[in-house]
Amino acid sequence: MTAADSVLTRPRLVASGGLTTLRRQPLIVVLGVMVAAFQLSTGSFLDPANLRGIATDAATLAIVAVPSALLVISGYLDLSVGSTLALGGLVGGWLAGQGQSPVVAVLGALAAGAAVGAVNGVLCCYFGLSAFIVTLGMLTAVRGLAQQLFPLPLSGFGTGFAWLGGARIAGLAAPVVVAALVLAAGALFLALTPAGRHVFAIGVNREAAHLSGIDVRRTPFALFVITGVAAALAGAIKASVLDSVVAGTSGSGFELAVLTAVLVGGVALTGGSGSILGVLLGVLFLGCLQNGLTLLDVPTFWQQMAQGSALVAGAALAYFAPRAAR
Amino acid sequence: MTPVNLRVRGLSKSFGGVRALDGVDLTVPMGQVHALLGHNGAGKSTLIKCLGGAFPPDAGTIEVGGTSYTRLSPRESIDAGVAIIFQTLSVVDALSVTENIFLGQEWTRYGRIDRRAQEEVAAGLLERVAASCSPRDRVGELPMGQRQLVEIAKALSRSAAVLVLDEPTAALSTAESAALAERVEDLRTQGLAIVYVTHLLSEVERLADAVTVLRDGRVTHRSVGAGQTRRELVEAIAGRPTRAPQVTQVTGGVPAQVPGSGGGADESAACEGGAGGSAASGGGAGGSAASGGGRVSGRTTAEPPASTAASGAPAHPSGRPRLTVDGLHGPGFGPVSLTVAEGERVGLFGLIGSGRTRILESLYGARRAVGGTVSVGDRTVTPARPAEALAAGIALVPADRRRQGLFPLLGAQDNALLPSVRHLARAGIRARGAEHRVFGALAEAVGLRPARPRLPAAAFSGGNQQKLVLGRWIHEARSVDVLLLDEPTQGVDVGARQEIYEVVTALAADRGTAVLFASSDPEEVVALADRCLIVAEGRIAGELSGPGLTEEALLSAIHDAEPAPDPGTQHTASAPAPSPASASAEGAA
Repeated sequence: MTAADSVLTRPRLVASGGLTTLRRQPLIVVLGVMVAAFQLSTGSFLDPANLRGIATDAATLAIVAVPSALLVISGYLDLSVGSTLALGGLVGGWLAGQGQSPVVAVLGALAAGAAVGAVNGVLCCYFGLSAFIVTLGMLTAVRGLAQQLFPLPLSGFGTGFAWLGGARIAGLAAPVVVAALVLAAGALFLALTPAGRHVFAIGVNREAAHLSGIDVRRTPFALFVITGVAAALAGAIKASVLDSVVAGTSGSGFELAVLTAVLVGGVALTGGSGSILGVLLGVLFLGCLQNGLTLLDVPTFWQQMAQGSALVAGAALAYFAPRAAR
Repeated sequence: MTPVNLRVRGLSKSFGGVRALDGVDLTVPMGQVHALLGHNGAGKSTLIKCLGGAFPPDAGTIEVGGTSYTRLSPRESIDAGVAIIFQTLSVVDALSVTENIFLGQEWTRYGRIDRRAQEEVAAGLLERVAASCSPRDRVGELPMGQRQLVEIAKALSRSAAVLVLDEPTAALSTAESAALAERVEDLRTQGLAIVYVTHLLSEVERLADAVTVLRDGRVTHRSVGAGQTRRELVEAIAGRPTRAPQVTQVTGGVPAQVPGSGGGADESAACEGGAGGSAASGGGAGGSAASGGGRVSGRTTAEPPASTAASGAPAHPSGRPRLTVDGLHGPGFGPVSLTVAEGERVGLFGLIGSGRTRILESLYGARRAVGGTVSVGDRTVTPARPAEALAAGIALVPADRRRQGLFPLLGAQDNALLPSVRHLARAGIRARGAEHRVFGALAEAVGLRPARPRLPAAAFSGGNQQKLVLGRWIHEARSVDVLLLDEPTQGVDVGARQEIYEVVTALAADRGTAVLFASSDPEEVVALADRCLIVAEGRIAGELSGPGLTEEALLSAIHDAEPAPDPGTQHTASAPAPSPASASAEGAA
């Protein structure tokens, strides 16, 4: 075995030579060009304050996109994260508003997210129902539950809860630190653990994985639970940053933003391929696109068109680009 | 001179340097049944696929009804009048017989399908092929023989002039086979040019007006009329002269004796299964070889290095049972009882749909058995899931590599080591150094080419893909006690097939692994098995071993093992599992 042969099993985040990485992730070039264009046209895009803003905005997306990407790699998907995010924010905010300690409030939010994820996981992995249908149904059902439980907007969560979204750790906003930890955990999971390889195997060929003695239900089930937890955490962070949550609108459309970031980042919807580096790039791409267009005073509708077009363009790129060795 | 309907000239086709067809000529005039013979991998399928337009040939011409083509698209092939009935039928189970016949060429009246007219024509076509089903029957509910006739009727509806039948009796019962033979004779008199691919020399004798034998992509025998003898054909198929003394025309009850075939030590183990009645005629090691009357010993037709290597030392010296199956039964199979000794290689031979795959899958826990026990050594395990089977030391190499075995997008190393990554890991973290080392040794042991760990499995040849799937269970981190193989060399080229036999043989000889494999290829059974169990209707219907284990004996045994035609059982036997692939699809559903 030569050194070159060992690249496959190395973590993608620290993968091999720059050229190989570029070939696998053409998005890096696109992102670079886009950043340069925004800097030239606005003059303020690369200001530290603006970059911090992008990072904070992208953080919640990244926190949910990582486990979502793992789900997609293993051949599933979760469309319910927008509503789970709302439920998590509401439960956390409500507990904090009741005078509970911030730790209890956050744990409560995470428990709610885990419950939603467990329902998704049981139905999809153990009962074998279609993940698309189950999580589409849960998207609506959980939104309804949130509105039933919290018909009025919540606000005024106290300073302790505000720490979650506003604190600075080594000069970085707390959500950015959390997102960095989630990204690192995702990359290390894929690269270093047996279950990380199993995720690919299940996504490529579930039956062959089953016949190889791999538990094809437990790992995706765990990923559903983790995705629910991550969405609730993102909801708590958003609630903390805004100091308010509205059951009807919080996180609405978030599931599509997550899926867009994951797919733009090169994770195949058919399962079996993708990397955390790609997810990071996808999240940054969407974050920069939105921020740059806002700086340029582009109307929201045009921004939506740009985001949608980026997804389709990304799919076309993946289709026409010569398939790199995997 | 009869007008020639099909004339193939100098057809060549290579796959990545392997010559699958090398200047093949084939002429089939109207009203002729032309038998196409040859071992698996001899080029028969490639030739058929070139005719059907699935592959473009590299060189040569295909002339159909006077028009010459250098390459055909599937559409051109159909329009030219070529119809190919593959072993795995291409009827749509969910549609009716009529809908299948008219699929893609529906008759319409005022923009709507003219159901009545279609059914009338379908009824006529069904009559022409003497099918007993009705135009309105759902194809999925018909027995295999009827489905095949529906497909032939479909071919006739497209005014096919050249009919290619790819081992048409492989999935049929004896009665259905006989009925099909009559249909083929009818179609011959109707003026079709028929290419009949088969393994069975008896079918050649019954039906063929002319014979072409392929070996390694070349024509090694061509004859018209009934001039050829079995011996000539066997020699042409095997590619070497059979040694005269061993080729004995048997008329009585004494099987041909072949030296160096491992001895008949375990003949006493005969017929362990719970099969009775007609099944017994297939049992009794040597006797069945002669039960079909005059037979030529096929032993000499296939004596690969693998079995020569094994004959040096007795294959299973200890006789200690490594795998014991007792009364295992479930939907569509059993009860099955069998033992495989340490270092023994046992074959399960039967028709498609006979239950071989079901038996192996339930041994592996991939299919739920209702009752019975499976033991490894002295431990009763009876796995309910593949993971439990693996924990007990039982591994399966499934038949449908693409669907059940391979991870096409992932690299070779991932493919071979995925099930073992957890075993090699230390404290939950993958041991990549160890993974590389194990893969390197494994690639060398199975002769993987190229031995590149990162190359996606989809980029390997069929043989090397199979080596990857097989390699999963035989490397240093994962050595199993019992290896189950389902069609171990399906879609594997000749060279790799030999290597796989050698790997499996060495595994049994060196590590005492008990090998139980299912096969529909008599050549493979003779090459790989110490002993062979005949499977019919989900049960063990007989056993062959020692000198009695010959290709001819196997073929006559499966036909003897078939019970008398009984519409009820026939139907239930073929309906749930027409092929290994769809059988396991149900299991996964």
